[in-house]
Amino acid sequence: MNYLKRSRLYLTHKKGQSLLMLLIMSAILVFVLSGIIIQNAAITATNNVTKSAGTTITVSANRDKMFSQMRSSSSKTKTLTTPTVANTKIAKAGNLSTVAYYNITNTASVNASSFDAVSTTTGTSSMGGGNMPGGGGGMSANSGDITVTGVSSTAHTATFTSNEAKLVSGRNIKASDANTKNVVIEKELATDNSVKVGDTITIKTTATSAKKLKLHVVGIYKAKTSSTGMPGNDPSNTIYTSYTLPASISGTAGKSSTVTYTLENSAKEKATTKQIKNIIASSAFSVSSDDASYQQLLQPMKNVQSFAKKIVWLVAIAGTIILGLIIILSVRTRQREIGVLVSLGESKLHIVGQLFTEMFMILIGAMVIATLLGGFVGNKVGNQLLSQQQTTSVSSTTTSGAPGGGAPSGNMPGGKTGGGMMTNQSNTSAANKKALKTLNTSITPSSVIKLGGMGLVIIALAVCVSAISILRLRPKDILIGE
Amino acid sequence: MLTVKNLAHWYGKTGKPLYENVNLSFEDAKVYTIIGASGSGKTTFLAFIAGLDKPQSGEIFLDGENIEKIGATNYRKHKVAIVFQQYNLLAYMSALDNVLTALAVTDSEHKNDKQYVLDALAGVGIEAADAKKNVQQLSGGQQQRVAIIRAMLVDANIVIADEPTGNLDDENSAMIVKLFQNFAHEHHKTVIIVTHDTKIAQQGDVKIKLADRQFIAS
Repeated sequence: MNYLKRSRLYLTHKKGQSLLMLLIMSAILVFVLSGIIIQNAAITATNNVTKSAGTTITVSANRDKMFSQMRSSSSKTKTLTTPTVANTKIAKAGNLSTVAYYNITNTASVNASSFDAVSTTTGTSSMGGGNMPGGGGGMSANSGDITVTGVSSTAHTATFTSNEAKLVSGRNIKASDANTKNVVIEKELATDNSVKVGDTITIKTTATSAKKLKLHVVGIYKAKTSSTGMPGNDPSNTIYTSYTLPASISGTAGKSSTVTYTLENSAKEKATTKQIKNIIASSAFSVSSDDASYQQLLQPMKNVQSFAKKIVWLVAIAGTIILGLIIILSVRTRQREIGVLVSLGESKLHIVGQLFTEMFMILIGAMVIATLLGGFVGNKVGNQLLSQQQTTSVSSTTTSGAPGGGAPSGNMPGGKTGGGMMTNQSNTSAANKKALKTLNTSITPSSVIKLGGMGLVIIALAVCVSAISILRLRPKDILIGE
Repeated sequence: MLTVKNLAHWYGKTGKPLYENVNLSFEDAKVYTIIGASGSGKTTFLAFIAGLDKPQSGEIFLDGENIEKIGATNYRKHKVAIVFQQYNLLAYMSALDNVLTALAVTDSEHKNDKQYVLDALAGVGIEAADAKKNVQQLSGGQQQRVAIIRAMLVDANIVIADEPTGNLDDENSAMIVKLFQNFAHEHHKTVIIVTHDTKIAQQGDVKIKLADRQFIAS
């Protein structure tokens, strides 16, 4: 172990050279560590995105099938009938381990009774409510001035999650509101009719033998979207309630027409879609998934991850070459010292060992510096990188057209379906903000261990390269000359 | 005893011979001086007997064992010590550390004995304060004495010195030669000094002249 002492003596004697090596090694390790922690942060963020991107699978009426059934009907009056699926099947699919939660959506069109609807005209549609504006998402064949949108939970409804609607008073509709007549109404509707939380309002069904239903107001929300001027289309005229109430109004109690499953893990989207299809087992329904948010969030993360990986490799390779060259040059200036040691009987392997030990001692110092600075540099570089990647991603999305429009949401104010585009854009924007915050470039013990490993490999390779010149040295040529 | 048998060496494979058929013996407790003109091949010969190079022909034996069999590294480590004209001390160490390093490399029983080394250095006029200074702060004569102490303390059978007084004044040169003589005679070691200085060469117990590719002992 004599060479350990020699290494220490050499480094302390050659202070300037040691300091220079320390700075070079520190610079290399700072970038390697930055790369490692950015990579780790990107992996963590990717995992978070996978879990929290909110990929959804929507089970809704197969419109092609609906229309083909309507056309093939022998009845004189062609009626578009929205298919339904038993809530037990929906719950079974909802119990899949990959599903985080699900939201059933049923809509019905009714008329206001104890209050006045906002800027709407009453009327009927010969085709029925179906998926037409104001038609109530497909449960009812008749159209009224109020759309009753039944959901499992308003908090999980796209209109609310995308902040198109926001609860301003009272509470949301929850799963426990099933089989009750609790409702959440829009602020304008409440103000115009002086309705407050806790009040009761009455509606009238659109059926020939209209029935009156008393609803209990448990919350008031504010809709951001404005009316399109179409009858029944004003967002203020949408009343949110439990999914059981519209089904009951439409005479399909215990069944529902649309359900959206939000996944626990976006990566399981394909497998879950298949499982849900098997459970629903009906060609009258289409099962479609929307992982646009996931994909849009995933891409920048993957790019950051890939870039960080490249940083690590490039810096490691460049570092090895730089250190290798420096050591080779240093070996040339230390030829006499090496010759003396060889003449004393020191093995060349021990001389290489001394070089390695010197580099190792510098590595320890450089690792301390890198650990102190790497977090700061990694954070700056990582966030800059992420910001650029997200700008590129959003710009590319805008150019190519926002994803969405695929799955009918069926829960837009006014009973509009096909609101996917708007909903998805909002979701993506919200998720982008969320993802930006999740790039946490902190230094962990594992990243320091990884850095140490990389550092060891770098100095081992650099010393190995320079060892060739040591092994080739002939002490006679160095020490004795005539 | 170091024995050289039928040693021959020439430049290149078929070049001009440096010397041929050299047969020499170096006994214990004697100081040998080898004198020769520049380019005569005396330092090359030194490299062969020091295990730093191999002759193209011939064999070298130490106490009857071929040094090739001993192994060059092992031979340099335990059997031979070399003193160079340029001192060849490790520049980043003190005199004390230089000697301790040599003791550690050769695995000497005194490898961690600082006092042993300080006493030896004091014996050649280098006191503890100087011994702990970086060697580059010492004079040429002091550095050469450190190099000689380093060679002597590693307990090698043979000490080979290449122009050990080449950079020294007369006073220091005399002191160095005296050191070698005492070492050889008191410790029963073989000292081989290669020199071009006739005054130094005369002080050897055995004088060997290298001329016309022949080693002539007197």
